[in-house]
Amino acid sequence: MEKLITLVPLFPLVGFLYQVFFGKNTSKQLTTIIGSGAIFASFVVSLIVFNSQLHSHHAVTVKVFEWIHAGSLHIDFAFLVDSLSSTYLLFITGVGFLIHIYSSGYMSHDEGFNRFFAYLNLFVFFMLILVLGDSLVTLFVGWEGVGVCSFMLIGFWYKEHANNEAAKKAFIMNRVGDLGLIVAMILIFSNTGTLNYVELFNHGKIASLSPSMLTTIAIFLFIGAMGKSAQFPLHTWLPDAMAGPTPVSALIHAATMVTAGIYLVARNGDLFEMSHTASNLVMYVGLITALMGATIALTQNDIKKVLAYSTVSQLGFMFVALGMGAHSIAVFHVITHAFFKALLFLGSGSVIHGMGGEQDIRRMGGLKKYMPTTQKTFLIGTLAIAGIFPFAGFFSKDQILAHAMEHNMPVFILLVIASACTAFYMFRMYYLTFHGEFRGTHAQEHHLHESPASMTIPLWVLAVLSIVGGFIGFPHAMGHAIHFPHALDHFLEGPVLVAVGDMSVTVEIILALATMGIAAVMIYVAHNIYIAKATPVLEDNEITSPIHKLLNKKYGFDELYEAMFKKPANAIGHAFATVVEWKIIDGIVNAAGTAAEGVGALARRLHGGHIAGYLLTFIVGLIILLGLIFKA
Amino acid sequence: MKELLLTALLGIGILVLDILNLKKYVLPFILLALATLVGFIAADWGTIETPFGQTMLVYENGANLALGVFAVVLFFWFILSSSYFKQHEGKTDLYALVVFSFCGAGLLASFGNMAMLFLGVEILSIPVYVLAASKKHDLASNESGFKYFILGSVASAILLFGITLVYGATGSFDLAVISNFIQDGKDASIIMNVGITMILVGFLFKISAAPFHIWTPDVYQGAPTWITAFMSTIVKAAAMVALFKLFTGPFQFYVEANGYTIGVIAAVTLIASNTAALWQTDVKRMLAYSSISHAGFLLSTIIGNASLLSLLFYLLTYSIAGIIAFGVIKETQTLEGNPLKGLYRRNGVLAFAFTAALLSMAGIPPFSGFIAKYFVIAQLIEAKYFALVVVMIITSAIGAFYYLRASLNVYQHIENAGRIVLTPLIKWTYILLTALLVLLTVAAGYIHLL
Repeated sequence: MEKLITLVPLFPLVGFLYQVFFGKNTSKQLTTIIGSGAIFASFVVSLIVFNSQLHSHHAVTVKVFEWIHAGSLHIDFAFLVDSLSSTYLLFITGVGFLIHIYSSGYMSHDEGFNRFFAYLNLFVFFMLILVLGDSLVTLFVGWEGVGVCSFMLIGFWYKEHANNEAAKKAFIMNRVGDLGLIVAMILIFSNTGTLNYVELFNHGKIASLSPSMLTTIAIFLFIGAMGKSAQFPLHTWLPDAMAGPTPVSALIHAATMVTAGIYLVARNGDLFEMSHTASNLVMYVGLITALMGATIALTQNDIKKVLAYSTVSQLGFMFVALGMGAHSIAVFHVITHAFFKALLFLGSGSVIHGMGGEQDIRRMGGLKKYMPTTQKTFLIGTLAIAGIFPFAGFFSKDQILAHAMEHNMPVFILLVIASACTAFYMFRMYYLTFHGEFRGTHAQEHHLHESPASMTIPLWVLAVLSIVGGFIGFPHAMGHAIHFPHALDHFLEGPVLVAVGDMSVTVEIILALATMGIAAVMIYVAHNIYIAKATPVLEDNEITSPIHKLLNKKYGFDELYEAMFKKPANAIGHAFATVVEWKIIDGIVNAAGTAAEGVGALARRLHGGHIAGYLLTFIVGLIILLGLIFKA
Repeated sequence: MKELLLTALLGIGILVLDILNLKKYVLPFILLALATLVGFIAADWGTIETPFGQTMLVYENGANLALGVFAVVLFFWFILSSSYFKQHEGKTDLYALVVFSFCGAGLLASFGNMAMLFLGVEILSIPVYVLAASKKHDLASNESGFKYFILGSVASAILLFGITLVYGATGSFDLAVISNFIQDGKDASIIMNVGITMILVGFLFKISAAPFHIWTPDVYQGAPTWITAFMSTIVKAAAMVALFKLFTGPFQFYVEANGYTIGVIAAVTLIASNTAALWQTDVKRMLAYSSISHAGFLLSTIIGNASLLSLLFYLLTYSIAGIIAFGVIKETQTLEGNPLKGLYRRNGVLAFAFTAALLSMAGIPPFSGFIAKYFVIAQLIEAKYFALVVVMIITSAIGAFYYLRASLNVYQHIENAGRIVLTPLIKWTYILLTALLVLLTVAAGYIHLL
């Protein structure tokens, strides 16, 4: 069955190529059918492969073609099918398919409809290459590919300059991370002679490395992960990436691409396991990011920005889990997060669609009346991310917290604070958007409508997944007591590190109740402020409290980077352009050109056209030549 | 041997067809014969044939391959030039002369004796003197033929003098005997060295390397364009193959002792041609200088321990680009003013083929000129001629300037462009040749299999 795996990335590639070559003359319906159909076909094959993995549980390498063969470097373009990659496959193609369907409604009035589907298909193709590759080199192809697609999709509405700026920012920030990944790859190759996962980990090549080298490699790999997964201090591109169409935010900047960093760390889990320093770094960076994202989200008023910072924060949670060695839990949170965050983004897209492009929650309110389906599914997503039983987010987040409690108490407390913030900002947004009085203009109110079925059906599917998705990872101790297994851990065990705590059932239950209690209190507080008292949200220029200002300005990272990197880089660039380039290099080039012309003018004089002169040159040439030969 | 007989008979056959008034069958007849020739070569692959004993001609893989390359280039030359010769009254005579000249090229690919070498050079050159002057009422063509004839005879005289001196030193014309003479440990006398130097000069003239190149721009510019194309490809290639055979064979000791001097000649050739080409406003004259600059590369192969294969690869690549470029110039020659300007509006195929040919000559990937130059430079680096490599790279940069200037010209916008109509055969030949320029790059990877 695993042989079929080649088909999985092939379908989106074919879809992409179709749009490239025939897209212009294709109707929107056919584009939808081909674009979504390609992903659906991939999803079906993924299901077959996944099912086969579920039974056999054996990692299989499928060689597609011989790729690079130069000296000692031998790299095949091959796919590694194991439980980790097949799990990723399933939600990439599954969520990807739903978002394609949704896009057919959301983008229906856009003139770049074909282009959009082409990019989306290409993105899915590269994302599949990323998770299927059997070596870091193949991963890198996908890694850069999704980066390019992300760039093109953030700047999809390229006529607005701000979108291009955001696209550039995302690309450049990612390049910083990519450099880390490249350095890690070079170090691994120069020390072990291979970049293939099986050879590195199963054949023990990695174990032969010195501890300091292991730590260095792990840290550089993690820098790569930080760029792609928007971890502090490389996180500032992700909120700006919301400039892209909302389905893009849902698919790329919430559900799939940004979790590539988690995949990278989980895939190279043994490496991190062997380096305590690197693992701790992962945990602390994740913790800082989780807290920072959650606190910034408290004060944002753009519906997509809130979700973006929430994504940053949730990715931080995942890295904390990775840093604690609970890799399977991180992957679990990736999956549940893909469900509910895609749901929330698509819900926000539905709201933006209904509001005619308005994204500021201060201009919304009372949308429940106009968009009941969006409201209901959005509430489900909000409950899921807030961590309320039995919604999916509860299970994964609870297990991260449980591990933190066993592992490191201060980290646990800070995570609890971050998750309390999550409950608050999510319900703040929910209440401001769907409850209370409508605060927008009359024109907007008149325009309000529920979104078409192509958009609401994916919402419902994701809502259902957000409700039941958590049960694939039932907590160990409790599950043991009621004979409900942690299906995901069992499945992932082997390729992915599984950390099983020794927590008792009682503690597990108390912890679950306590975190839910805190979330409930935060929801109540949010309700109290924004519904019962109906406190108006301050406009940006009315903010006086310094802390509020700091959070609203996102801790000033953008301004800091502007002053630290952008301005000096621009100054250096300007100096190079004016002095080095124009004066020195152009000067040399022009001088060389002038010299060449001068020599040419001399050479040309020889060709006077007189035969006698030519003959003389011959004889002189012969004499000089003889002289050269007999000079010794 | 049968290849050579076939060629000679082909030349006579053309004249017979003329007498029988069957002119319209001449071209198919020639193409058929050339295809047969290539077939013979393929059939003879791997065998060694030495007619007339050991001395006169030696047919082995290298000679056959060289002949094959010349035949392929000539095949396409005949197809592309057909539209020009169609209006020419003396078509069959000129065709016969070209084929006889090709006979000389065949001798130069397979000679095993200096007598055959000299015969080959003369048979190659004498028809070309006539061909260069074949536009009887055109002053420039007459001047071109006359200049070429006078200067060519001097070069032949120097060559013959050199052969005589080598005979005096070794007592033989036979290459094998000369080789053994050196290998037996006998010192090369002054007479021998002077002789070899004069032979070298004779060939430097033929391949137009500095300082014996100065006739080239005048002659190339004045001669009918298709004859120029023939001269700059097959004539030059045959002379180069002969030079290569001599100086990597019996005269290798001379190259080992004087590699530096030959490197200087190559460097001077490159510098003089590329800088002079910058000044040219006439594209045909510019291509003449380009042809000289390629002589610099070709000459370097003998000091870089290059294989005959890489030389033939260079010659094939360069010749294909050459007949495309001269062909396109000929197709546009009837136009007023700057005929190449805005060519893409007149005929897209010609414009693209021309660009590809020039980029290949400039050595820009993916065209095979890049690989050809790469082979040469890689072998020079291995032989540690770093200064020459630096000169090559700098002059290639200068070259890129005038090649790109000419190809940009083709894409300038012009109003009211009249279409240039090509017959389907010629159009597809241009497309095929352009494709070959790219395919050869790929094929270069398999060159070691031969």
